[in-house]
Amino acid sequence: METKFTLHDRESILKFLQDTINGSVELQQHVKKYEKGTVVFTQGQRLNYLSLILKGRANLRHVRYDGSSLDLLKFEPGHFMGLLAFTTGNPSLTTCTVVEDIYALRIEQSEFEQYVNDHPDLRSPLQILMMINMSDRFLQNLRLESQMHSLNQRLKAESEELRMAYRQLESSHQKLIHQEKMATLGELVAGFAHEINNPAAALIRSAEALKENFQELPETESMALMFKSGLDAEPISSSEIRERMLEIQKRFPYVEDRSATRKLAQMPELALEVIDSNRKKISITQLIQQFEAGKLIHNIQLASARIAGLVKSLKSYSRQDKNQAEMIDIRTGIKDTILVLTNRLKFLDVNIELNEIPETCARMGELNQVWTNILVNACEILPDGGQISIKTWSDENSIFVEIADNGPGIPPEVLSRIFEPNYTTKNQGSQFGLGLGLAISNQIIRKLGGNIEASNNKVAGAKFLTSIPIVKC
Amino acid sequence: MDNQIYIVIIEDELEVMEALLGDLEFIEPNFPLEAANNAEEAVSVMEQIEADGHKVGLLLCDHVLPGKNGIDLLIELQNHPTLKHSKKVLVTGQAGLEDTVQAINKAHLDYYIAKPWTKEELQEVVTEKLTDYVIENKLNLLQYMSALNATRLAEALRENGLTDT
Amino acid sequence: MKLTKNQWIGLVLGALGFILPFFWEINGLSAAGHMGLSIFFLAAVFWMLEPVPIYATSMLVILLQVLFLSSEGIYLNDVTEAYSPDGYTAFMGTLANPIIILFLGGFVLADAAVKYNLDLNITRILLKPFGNQPKYILLGLMSVTALLSAFMSNTATTAMMMTVIIPIIARMKPTDPLRIGLALSVPFAANIGGIATPIGTPPNAVVIGSLANQGISIPFGNWMALAVPLVLIALLILWLVLLFMYKPEAKTIEIDMTGKFNLSKKALFLYAVFAFTVILWVTESVHGVNSAIIAMIPVVFLTLTGVTSKEDIRKLPWEVLWLVAGGISLGISMKSTGLAEWIVTSIDWGSFGTITMILVFSAVAIAMSNFLSNTVTATLLAPLAISLAVSGVAGEGFNLVIISLVIGVSASFAMVLPISTPPNAIAISTGFIETKHMAKPGILIGIFGLLLVTIYALFYWPLLIGN
Repeated sequence: METKFTLHDRESILKFLQDTINGSVELQQHVKKYEKGTVVFTQGQRLNYLSLILKGRANLRHVRYDGSSLDLLKFEPGHFMGLLAFTTGNPSLTTCTVVEDIYALRIEQSEFEQYVNDHPDLRSPLQILMMINMSDRFLQNLRLESQMHSLNQRLKAESEELRMAYRQLESSHQKLIHQEKMATLGELVAGFAHEINNPAAALIRSAEALKENFQELPETESMALMFKSGLDAEPISSSEIRERMLEIQKRFPYVEDRSATRKLAQMPELALEVIDSNRKKISITQLIQQFEAGKLIHNIQLASARIAGLVKSLKSYSRQDKNQAEMIDIRTGIKDTILVLTNRLKFLDVNIELNEIPETCARMGELNQVWTNILVNACEILPDGGQISIKTWSDENSIFVEIADNGPGIPPEVLSRIFEPNYTTKNQGSQFGLGLGLAISNQIIRKLGGNIEASNNKVAGAKFLTSIPIVKC
Repeated sequence: MDNQIYIVIIEDELEVMEALLGDLEFIEPNFPLEAANNAEEAVSVMEQIEADGHKVGLLLCDHVLPGKNGIDLLIELQNHPTLKHSKKVLVTGQAGLEDTVQAINKAHLDYYIAKPWTKEELQEVVTEKLTDYVIENKLNLLQYMSALNATRLAEALRENGLTDT
Repeated sequence: MKLTKNQWIGLVLGALGFILPFFWEINGLSAAGHMGLSIFFLAAVFWMLEPVPIYATSMLVILLQVLFLSSEGIYLNDVTEAYSPDGYTAFMGTLANPIIILFLGGFVLADAAVKYNLDLNITRILLKPFGNQPKYILLGLMSVTALLSAFMSNTATTAMMMTVIIPIIARMKPTDPLRIGLALSVPFAANIGGIATPIGTPPNAVVIGSLANQGISIPFGNWMALAVPLVLIALLILWLVLLFMYKPEAKTIEIDMTGKFNLSKKALFLYAVFAFTVILWVTESVHGVNSAIIAMIPVVFLTLTGVTSKEDIRKLPWEVLWLVAGGISLGISMKSTGLAEWIVTSIDWGSFGTITMILVFSAVAIAMSNFLSNTVTATLLAPLAISLAVSGVAGEGFNLVIISLVIGVSASFAMVLPISTPPNAIAISTGFIETKHMAKPGILIGIFGLLLVTIYALFYWPLLIGN
């Protein structure tokens, strides 16, 4: 008589088996008891018997190569202990420890066939039970895989968050460094400006004194005239020198030395007449020397005045030591900025219209940063020359500063983001920018309660209109 | 006088141009000086010099010029059939490393003098480069013995296998 | 090609000189003689005024002779009673005259010596023993210069020595007369040193060549025996003159010469060939092999081994060889057309005593070569000497060899002006000396040279030449 069982029917199979065992003394002899805590088999052991748990529970544990252990299945009645090892013949992958006293049917491999032959009605249920065990394991596997998958997903997401956080940190770090650098540079510049002041002043005074000294020296009137002509002489361009040298060669054919001819070419008519009239009397070399002396002193004066002007503007521009806001005429700062940027603006057409504006309370140094930023951007957009215009005016409430260029203008997609921090269009090679300039400028103006507006001109180029409210300190 | 060797100075700031001219007057009796304030003018001056039957032995060029800058000019001159033989010296305070490397590699720059220069360095460099020019272009070495580096010229004379007559 | 005014004058005068004998009947001068005179006038004018390069004139001379005086030419090409034309190869062949080959050998050796810095290294070694006292340094420089210029061209030796002394002079005080002494010692010593060997300087070639045409050969060693004693005394006198005129102020001079002998295989081979060749030359009368033949040795072996490259060959001064060849060629026609004889018989030489003749020839040679190229001077005067001997007009005291020597040696004593010789020109070009500094000792040396030559010609040379 064969009873039919289905795969889902663990309990009834177990009951059947239990009943069969209870009805067979022989079978009852194969029922073993394992007490709680007993190790039924250990990892690595080869098993030649199979145990079916009739009652009780056990724990399966796997120890990994690094010593950590994993707790796997919990065995319950209806589970086979050591099924895999038994069926494959491989060493057991796990250690089985009894948790709750177990009664198990223990079947030796060598006896398995015997049982089945002796008790043919056991065959089917045993086999089905084995399949149930296997499928249980498979299900377990699936569950584990799925858990792992979601764990992985979570890990990835966290990792990504970490990366982003790191990037932001980097960028803030850079900003800080940049600001540090700027601050240090600013201090250096201020110190430098102070230092240069003294020698610059000495230069100017000495040049002036030299001039007065020299004016007493010439012995004749002709010499004095030559010296004075030299003092007033302005440098002339190379093409003019060339033209005049041709004229001089015709007018003074007896002058053979080319260097002397060039010097004559740089003299005004007055000096040339002196030379003409003194042809026989005084050596032309001496007359030229007097002229040269005057010219050289004039050059020294010009150069030292230029140094002094630059120093003054530099000091005024930096004003690091003034951390207080005070009543200022913004135009002074604008002029200083322009002077300090002379080198950049050299080949551009700079149009300045600084109308009268009232004073307002602000820090000149900060505002200079703003003008510098906008002007430098304009210079960079006009590498081959162009025009920049700077205008100031005011109404009852505000002061307006407009800086415009006739370059290619600002593309619309840039325009909307131009004051964003870290937004820069300069990212190739030496043109690297942190995108902070206009952002900081914006910040400065806003702090004053003002506004910077970037737009494009109707004709060509970009325009930055800054408005600053007029306030008292 | 035929076939003179010219020195051409290219500098847009007039005071600096005058200072260069002043420092080089010592050599003008043998090597006339010419000046230009920008690259375009320089090229036309040099072409005029050659049209008059003379040669340009040496260029002293600033980098920052209105319009085309100095290094670009020097690089372009390498393509000029005759002017490429002239010696090229950059006298500047403002050429960055990249530009200078370009000048050396593409324009075969012969020397770099940083502003401010000392008169001694300038005069020595000019004398040496003109000596190079005269020797390389196989000009009449005897003529320049007293103005340039006589030892090197005598050395070149010796290597040219001179004869008695 | 634009010609200067002077060049035009030279060309016109030369052309006139050429044409003149066609219209001027001269008694006692054959047609061939007239032709020879035309060519002579043309050559003399072109060589003296230099409207065209002197080596070109030499080639022109050869061409004219071939065209107008040779048996293959277009004019006087038939044998007549008065003139028996030489074959054209006689004229053209001067380009390969043994003396030319001898010089070629000398050029190849000298060029290789420069290439491998043998000259510089020898100078360095030889100057060491002279210490650092100015007067001995001066002597040392002069001696080494003279020694080198005996084998290399005077001009090349001067150029090389200049590289040594220019740095020295540059370091001295501007007022030290030693500067002038040093600057002058080199060209003067080079000029004098060139007299010592046949290959020392082209005028020697002209003399030997024209004597060879008369069947008189002067072996290398013999020339040296004749010339070296004179050279030594002349150097001594030069030294004393310079020390006296330009007394040194500095106490010591440092000669800063660094360098090593080139020890590459090619250089060593060169040293060997050089030494070998010189030894063979000097012992010419012992082994009897002609010095021109010996000269082929360096030419062959240095080119075979690549010590002398194709470029080096191209750079050799071939124009000097042409110059000398033209001179020798002119001598041939002057003799065979009877022109030289006619020139000679126009003057009553018999009344000249030996001494007078020697003095005259020497003085004329020195004077001429102060303004003309030394080689040209020798070229123009040597045929005169030949014809004096051949015609027997000069009488008893006239020995061809001695007079030729007088002319050749005197031609090298011209050192008064920068234009006198290329070494002088080099020295002046440095700017360390002016013409007036050169002229005074130059004239003195010229006078001493005249005296030396006369004394040697009267007393020493006859001993060696016998007769």
